[in-house]
Amino acid sequence: MVYFIIKRLIQSVFVMLAVAFLAFSLFRFVGDPITQMTGVETSVADQERLREELGLNDPFITQFVRFTGDMLQGDFGFSYRTRQPVAEMIADRIPATLELGIVALLISLVVGIPAGVYTALRPRGVVSQTILMTTLIGISVPTFVIGIMLIFLFGVQLGWLPTFGRGGTVQIGGWESSFFTVDGWRALILPAITLGVYQLTLTMRLVRAEMMEVMRSDYIRFATARGVPMRRLYLKHALANTMVPVITIIGLQFGGVIAFSIVTESVFQWPGMGLLFLESIRFVDIPVMGVYLVVIAFFFVLVNLIVDMLYVAIDPRLRVKDAA
Amino acid sequence: MTYSLKSSALVCMTVLLSSTALSAETFRWASTTDPQTMDPHAVNSAPVLSFMNNIYEGLVRRGKDMSIEPSLATSWEPLEGENGWRFTLREGVTFQDGSAFTSEDVMFSYQRASNEAADVRSWFAPVADVRVVDDFTIDFVTTAPNPLFPDSIANFMILDKDWAEGNDAALPARDAENFATMNVNGTGPFTLSSRDPGVRTVLTPHEGWWGEAEHNVTEAVFTPIGNSATGLAALLSGEIDFIQPIPLQDVAQVEERDGFKVLEGEETRVIMFGFGHEHETLLYSDDVTDANPFTDPNVRLAAAHALDIDSINRVLFRGKIQPASQLVPAGISGYSDANSDRPEYNPDRARELLAEAGYPDGFSFGLKCTNDRYINDEALCRAAASMFAAVGLNAELSTGPVRDYWPQLREDDFDMYLLGWSPGTFDMEHPIRFLMHSQDDEKKLGSWNFGNYSNARVDELLPMIQQEIDPAARQALIDEVVAITQEEVAYIPLYTQPLIWAAKDNVDLTQRADNFFLLRWVTVN
Repeated sequence: MVYFIIKRLIQSVFVMLAVAFLAFSLFRFVGDPITQMTGVETSVADQERLREELGLNDPFITQFVRFTGDMLQGDFGFSYRTRQPVAEMIADRIPATLELGIVALLISLVVGIPAGVYTALRPRGVVSQTILMTTLIGISVPTFVIGIMLIFLFGVQLGWLPTFGRGGTVQIGGWESSFFTVDGWRALILPAITLGVYQLTLTMRLVRAEMMEVMRSDYIRFATARGVPMRRLYLKHALANTMVPVITIIGLQFGGVIAFSIVTESVFQWPGMGLLFLESIRFVDIPVMGVYLVVIAFFFVLVNLIVDMLYVAIDPRLRVKDAA
Repeated sequence: MTYSLKSSALVCMTVLLSSTALSAETFRWASTTDPQTMDPHAVNSAPVLSFMNNIYEGLVRRGKDMSIEPSLATSWEPLEGENGWRFTLREGVTFQDGSAFTSEDVMFSYQRASNEAADVRSWFAPVADVRVVDDFTIDFVTTAPNPLFPDSIANFMILDKDWAEGNDAALPARDAENFATMNVNGTGPFTLSSRDPGVRTVLTPHEGWWGEAEHNVTEAVFTPIGNSATGLAALLSGEIDFIQPIPLQDVAQVEERDGFKVLEGEETRVIMFGFGHEHETLLYSDDVTDANPFTDPNVRLAAAHALDIDSINRVLFRGKIQPASQLVPAGISGYSDANSDRPEYNPDRARELLAEAGYPDGFSFGLKCTNDRYINDEALCRAAASMFAAVGLNAELSTGPVRDYWPQLREDDFDMYLLGWSPGTFDMEHPIRFLMHSQDDEKKLGSWNFGNYSNARVDELLPMIQQEIDPAARQALIDEVVAITQEEVAYIPLYTQPLIWAAKDNVDLTQRADNFFLLRWVTVN
């Protein structure tokens, strides 16, 4: 197990290097940082001097090697836009994104799994059909439209919930959390629903499909014949067996939730990493963009690792293999 | 804010259905861009300078109507016997940390702002020497007579020497941040009480400010909101009191709601089309590959006659733009009343001119535009392209974000391009210096004259305009430049862009033509 984890972590370094390389080869096409950093009155000579100072005239490979070399030494550089240390900027924004992602994931699981089970067991019921129809919206409507609709309904028309930002936060160590204030939770509801709705639909449909598959299998029929109580049959025998594929997909999706929270964060002015990334693109803030993409790559690797480890916890057969 | 532990979102929903009433004097506002830094010398950009004008002050400042008025200097007069200006400083002014303001601070700020590390150093290009005369008198010696020098340093903000040096912030941050990036110590009406870059910045009044407070704000909270729909929702839900700007298409939505108002004004930014005057051939043409028809002033005039500004105004801008005849709007100093006519919409004349120039069937060319820089910029270019097409000028339109637009223009990658220009000094000399004088890197002139329009007489007139003390003589020189550039159709000035802000009804504020928003003019009723 330990060997497995170490192997994965070493692999992750290569994944991050590859991402950094791809990112750097694309940055040249994003735009020119210098014209974004300086005012209109700044002379061409001053712009050139700044370009030289920042090493932007160096060949792409030199810039890439310098970036990765500095990163390996723990030096993440400074933002072109704000001059702050990039590590600090990203670290400040991680709690907002993670908390949003986790709540979105919880919403999708807490609603999606029961709804999936229910619609699998009563496929022709009116309630099931209604649920399936409405969740179709979750898959087909773009995230920003859902977000704007929620904002205008609950924020502007009804005035129940805030339309932007994180509301009240509390500092716990270096972690700025929304979880401990009423204002924080109020601000979290709409963005978490917006971010989670696609996940929710996916989870529900996946659970439903898997559940229907399992319900047709022989062991369920035998168990039914043996008179196993229905509740136990559904939840223990059937549901547990649907969970392996569900966890794979949900796990992989969580990486996506973190990475693609950009849209939700922009719609709700949610001060997470995604919003920082968007601002950085606008200003061609190469150090921040580079570090962000590497951090996101790391998240993906980490989530995959956790998914693999969860398999073992859920599926006893894998444990036996591991022991052997 | 009450901090209580709640784990269930449902519980919170019921508790919070009643929204908390905001105290009357806390003023919350939003804009699309966060000021990148709190250092007034580090970045020469409108979001930074506008914001920092609440905290720091210059020797002179601009009033509600953009006129120059005393600030940290109470008076100024030309030096006797040499070129330059003597500023008499205000006595009894204190910085926000309590230390006194003297000419040493001005001297220090000059050295800091004119250093290579400062982005605002171009303001001091005409300065030869600065001399402290006594504690409250300072001389700025210029290399040539410079009647506009006091106007040109309205955004040159004064830092406290001891504070900056004591905190290792004697120069603006170049690589890593320094103390002045996140902290302030100005003489202005407001001071910084907290800052979370990109999230929230809180200002509170500076109790020891020398001026008479016209505002009633006790706390001002700034939030950048990049997404315009979110910003509008934040205003309409009452979470913010004021937002700048709002998109044109949202004006009706704000107007039809009770309790909100739209503030409309005219920005000083003139939108125009420019040409590749120097290009020998067109880059993006399918039919004319061996010549550049735009080198012929009549072809440029034909393009100007093809554009129907009134239709553009009605359809794209809801009647909110002012057609422009020159590179500054009326009312800006140096505006040439003698040349206030613009080429009228006359497609027949345009076709005639093209035929006379040898292009009876027109020709195709490339038109470059931004899509995120000016109001409705992409829509404008689409409309213009179809108007050009109606006279035979087939524009192949390509649009893109501003972040890689300027580099393309600098590399001469265009046949015709869109540009907006706001005169930083609020004088006609500014666009002549940047857009009409031939490119001259050495003298730092013509740096935004991408197409390198070049006229020897204009080049000759610029220094004369810069040095002429007599207003009538100066205006005559400017009139000559405007007449030449209109005659030669150096640019096609289109219109001045509107400024559209929105606020709650109970907020009184001043919309200044440079798109600066100053808290000292805000009253919350």
